[in-house]
Amino acid sequence: MATETEYPSIDLRNLLGRPLNDIEEKYAPEIIYYKGVMQKPLPCARVSIIGTRQPSKEGILAAEEVSKILIENQVVIVSGLAKGIDTVAHETAIKNGGKTIAVIGTPLNKTYPKENTKLQEELMKNHLVISQYPIDHKTTPKDFVLRNRTMALISDASVIVEAGESSGSLYQGWETLRLGRPLFICKSVVHNPKLKWPKEMIEYGAIELDDPADILEILPSNVKMPELFQ
Amino acid sequence: MNISKVEFGSLLTYTPRGDSEKAKGAKTAMINLKNDNVLSSGILTSEYIVQAMAREINTFPFADYFNSNAVLVPAPKSSLLKPDTLWVPQRITTALIRNGLGKSSEACLERVTAVARSSGQTVGANRPKALKHYESMRVKELLFKPKEIVLVDDVITRGATILGGVNRLSEAFPDAKIRAFTMMRTISNAEEFSDVEDPCIGTITMYGEDTSRVP
Repeated sequence: MATETEYPSIDLRNLLGRPLNDIEEKYAPEIIYYKGVMQKPLPCARVSIIGTRQPSKEGILAAEEVSKILIENQVVIVSGLAKGIDTVAHETAIKNGGKTIAVIGTPLNKTYPKENTKLQEELMKNHLVISQYPIDHKTTPKDFVLRNRTMALISDASVIVEAGESSGSLYQGWETLRLGRPLFICKSVVHNPKLKWPKEMIEYGAIELDDPADILEILPSNVKMPELFQ
Repeated sequence: MNISKVEFGSLLTYTPRGDSEKAKGAKTAMINLKNDNVLSSGILTSEYIVQAMAREINTFPFADYFNSNAVLVPAPKSSLLKPDTLWVPQRITTALIRNGLGKSSEACLERVTAVARSSGQTVGANRPKALKHYESMRVKELLFKPKEIVLVDDVITRGATILGGVNRLSEAFPDAKIRAFTMMRTISNAEEFSDVEDPCIGTITMYGEDTSRVP
């Protein structure tokens, strides 16, 4: 049986290493359960790579390319352990010696989808898996929506690689925009005439991603802000 | 658009691509401001910078911008805005008024159509032009006609948003003296960046379709 010792908890503010502003507090969980070896407060910068569970070949290649460039620049890859783009993002980080965080919608002692059990074990052993749900929590579909908001909150920026009109990634996209954080949408998705959501998100501040290296320009470093006019 | 030149004050600078510790610290300041992060001291970044500014205001060349007649107008985001969304210029104007700088904060300039952005535009030449900003904004009526207006933005790059906004405001309030203030300005060339603290007065000028910012 899973125990508190096996899955310790941390205040979200301590996980991020700073208090939250009023906009961030709105949907922020108080407590985060975690398993893994990553330092706390979390290293920066952190970028979410998210998207559909049924990616095209191009989507898979784009997720790999964006993840690789970020990893080469010591950016931590955040994703949701789902099938498809999420799995590609985590696996690309592992293969290329990067760091990755899975923000899951189930308690830590459960895995969804089941086929990612080994991936979750690997992330718990060598990276980090976090959940806002205690081990006795009964999972409902809404939990994944709330998880997506949490994923937006712990990420300095988010990238939607490929997603349909009903993708859960869109919840994260809207929350990223609400927080005022950069939301990138891959160019091929923006210009896909079958999709309405990219145009709508662009109207509300999402950025069309031309070159993955452009993401680096808006990411924070570990260097602190200087004191001003002292 | 009738106005082709605007004076602006600015407090801080940052560069998007600098590798020095100073440049990275300034970029952190920019990101903290853009997210209005709470600093380890428990204060919002907008409030922290405004408090620092208020302490030294009389030493800055733009001190007179924030006189008791000055109505502070937050610059709209380039996108449309849903309720409960972070809007940093509005948080800056609120902090300025709270700290005794200016008469009131009036969110009377709004974006009615979005101006799309793409990555690589942080310093790129293909940024939206002032005319596009002008065409995408409108002014909401105020009960009293302001004598002086300061259009306040968080970060300035080329000044196209400011120039478009000032033209809209000047149409609605033709008798008002209008200037602009930006908390930070972007130094595109990292070699030209010297320090995060660099208070100045400058100008934004139209050249054909483009805008040029000095300094």
